[in-house]
Amino acid sequence: MDKMIFLVGLNHRCAGVDVREKFALTNVADFEKSLLAACPLREVMALSTCNRVEILVVADVDRCAGIDLPEAVLRHWAETCAGPLSTLREHTYRHTSLDAVTHLFCVAASLDSMVMGEPQILGQLKTSYRKAVETGTARVIINRLLHKSFSVAKRVRTETAIASSAVSISYAAVELAKKIFGELSGKTAMLVGAGEMAELAATHLLASGIEKLYITNRTFSRAQELAKTMHGEAILFEGMVDQLRDVDIVISSTGSPTAIIRARDIREVLKKRRNRAMFFIDIAVPRDIDPDVNALDNVYLYDIDDLKEVVEENMSARQGEAVKARAIVEVETQAFATWLKSLALQPTITDLLGRAEDVANRELAKTLKRLGEVDDQTRQALEVLVASVSRKLLHEPICFLKRRTREEGTAERFIDMTRRIFNLDADAVIDDAHLDRRTVDDEALDCECCRDDDALLTRAALKDQPAPPGLTNQTSQPNQTGQPDQTGQK
Amino acid sequence: MALPELLPILVIALYFLGTVLFVVGSALRNEFLKNTALGLATLGFALHTLDLAQFLTGAEAAQNLTAGRFLFCLLGWGILSIFLLLWWRLGLKFLAVVAMPLALVLYVTANATVGVNTKLPPMLSGLFFFLHIGTLFSSMALLAMAFGAGLAFLHLEKRIKAKAGLKQFQKDMPSLDTFDRVNHFAALCGFPLYTLGLASGYVWAWLSARRVFSLDPKEVMALLVLVLYAYLFHQRLTMGWRGRKPAVMAICVFLLTVISMLGINFLVPTTFHGFKP
Repeated sequence: MDKMIFLVGLNHRCAGVDVREKFALTNVADFEKSLLAACPLREVMALSTCNRVEILVVADVDRCAGIDLPEAVLRHWAETCAGPLSTLREHTYRHTSLDAVTHLFCVAASLDSMVMGEPQILGQLKTSYRKAVETGTARVIINRLLHKSFSVAKRVRTETAIASSAVSISYAAVELAKKIFGELSGKTAMLVGAGEMAELAATHLLASGIEKLYITNRTFSRAQELAKTMHGEAILFEGMVDQLRDVDIVISSTGSPTAIIRARDIREVLKKRRNRAMFFIDIAVPRDIDPDVNALDNVYLYDIDDLKEVVEENMSARQGEAVKARAIVEVETQAFATWLKSLALQPTITDLLGRAEDVANRELAKTLKRLGEVDDQTRQALEVLVASVSRKLLHEPICFLKRRTREEGTAERFIDMTRRIFNLDADAVIDDAHLDRRTVDDEALDCECCRDDDALLTRAALKDQPAPPGLTNQTSQPNQTGQPDQTGQK
Repeated sequence: MALPELLPILVIALYFLGTVLFVVGSALRNEFLKNTALGLATLGFALHTLDLAQFLTGAEAAQNLTAGRFLFCLLGWGILSIFLLLWWRLGLKFLAVVAMPLALVLYVTANATVGVNTKLPPMLSGLFFFLHIGTLFSSMALLAMAFGAGLAFLHLEKRIKAKAGLKQFQKDMPSLDTFDRVNHFAALCGFPLYTLGLASGYVWAWLSARRVFSLDPKEVMALLVLVLYAYLFHQRLTMGWRGRKPAVMAICVFLLTVISMLGINFLVPTTFHGFKP
């Protein structure tokens, strides 16, 4: 039964804010369930944020022959939001099969975001996925696809520098301050005038460990008010220049038409503070701080345009990193395509038998090495033995799988389960996966069955008795015949 | 080969590998490579110490003190020990870029000058040795670190002042303040050491030859360095100089010491300070 993955959605590039508002699914309860009821689909997951709506759908190809599924999904979406279908059709994009996979990976890795590299989208995607799992609309394919997309996002974050540089003005200011002063703990800052951006920058500074924040304003009461909310100290506007000798970072954003901090004042201040470095951030337009201040030694002045430039440069650096990130997405999409193809009965049986044969041959080689010279007859007998043990062991599971595939809708669940139990896709297992669902305390995961049994065999040979049952814990005890301790019964 | 013969090769190999790995690690922003490099350099440093100890405990210890090999060896060792000290106290991994190649070059130079003994001065005694050469070498090692930190400071400051934006490499550098602290340290400790080294030299010259100043080109240079160093010390500690000016000054002073140390040793005939091959 062939599966079809497709994705319809809209984002900040193709739809204006009015359209995004209209068709947001943030407040719609159980959209996935109603969509499943309305259309012949197998799995659904919807993601809705302020910048995008994405609806990911998996359907059986033969069940929906002759139906334009994307159109049906759009119609249901339009009905749910009580909006015109034509508008929706005009502003949405549609991706099918691997294009949809690539698109989802790009969204998860924040390559498609308005601010490329921002971390929120991944969290939003995780929340949506959890909701879909809880309502039961996400199954094998969406499970796998989303898990993959989380790991793609992680790879992109660690292997590229896409999220490493500051792309907001206030954050860029903090980064610069760190480059000048090193650690910000023990430093002091002053807010001259109050404005939204200045407050934001001050909050960032406080978060990175600034010790003291002075706040000054032409109207003292406003300064006091702000000092209370930001845990700072209000000072009089007239005393501002005198106070500067104790201040390392100044953020200025007054509405003054002329400069309020002049180079010659600062020269005096510098003498008093023995040339300890100062960092001025001038967010006001027109500027509050005389540009000549920057020419003084140990004084650094950034105005709003300078900071914007820093941010833009960082943005363009991110664009460069995005090329690397897209290459990662490409590779992972191909890996997903391979998995999708293997999610059928025949490839899984082939893989299972291959895996078993592999193990059998490896163990056979070991045993032959230990036995030394053997005649051909013995060798053939051993070969037949391992091959038949491994095949017989798999006979029942394979029959079970075959029976299940005849039933409607359960096949890929069991096939996926089998692939995971036998780790046929050679996925790396993360240590902390499903940590929240674990009930037992950490037990050693490696069991005795995969331990090398050389030691056991040699010990058994020495004692001249049959090899102990290698799967029980008793093998480590001296009394290992598998029988209860006789002495205790006397 | 016995250990003593093998030791220099091992040290050179470790320093070389450390230097290369550190540069590559810095370029690739790979912390693991950098830490491996520092580990190698520390191991090299331990062997280097062993090498020096061998010199001092050997039968010809007194003679060895004036051997060219020993002196270069000691200077390299001093630079690396100051670097390790700064790394430990200030977390200045970055200065390895300066310290490791310098230690390597000095150690290789030392081994190129094997067998060369200066015709120096019978009046050399252990005490004089540590007063004169030990102090001068430590202050030069401090200057070398201040030189590296100064160059980094100037580069980073220029980028910040010009609002040119920081590249990834510059983002990984320590802050301006950290570089300035190295400069402070070098001025604070280095200048007294340098003064002590020079003064002891003059005292000894007077005691042994009844003459203080012999117009030896090296002595002239050393006096010039002392004056500049004193200026840096004074401005830094009493006038509160910080940042760019002391950084430039430290760079100049270091270059002058290098000229007086190597240039004069190898190029100009000198009375008794040359320990050239």
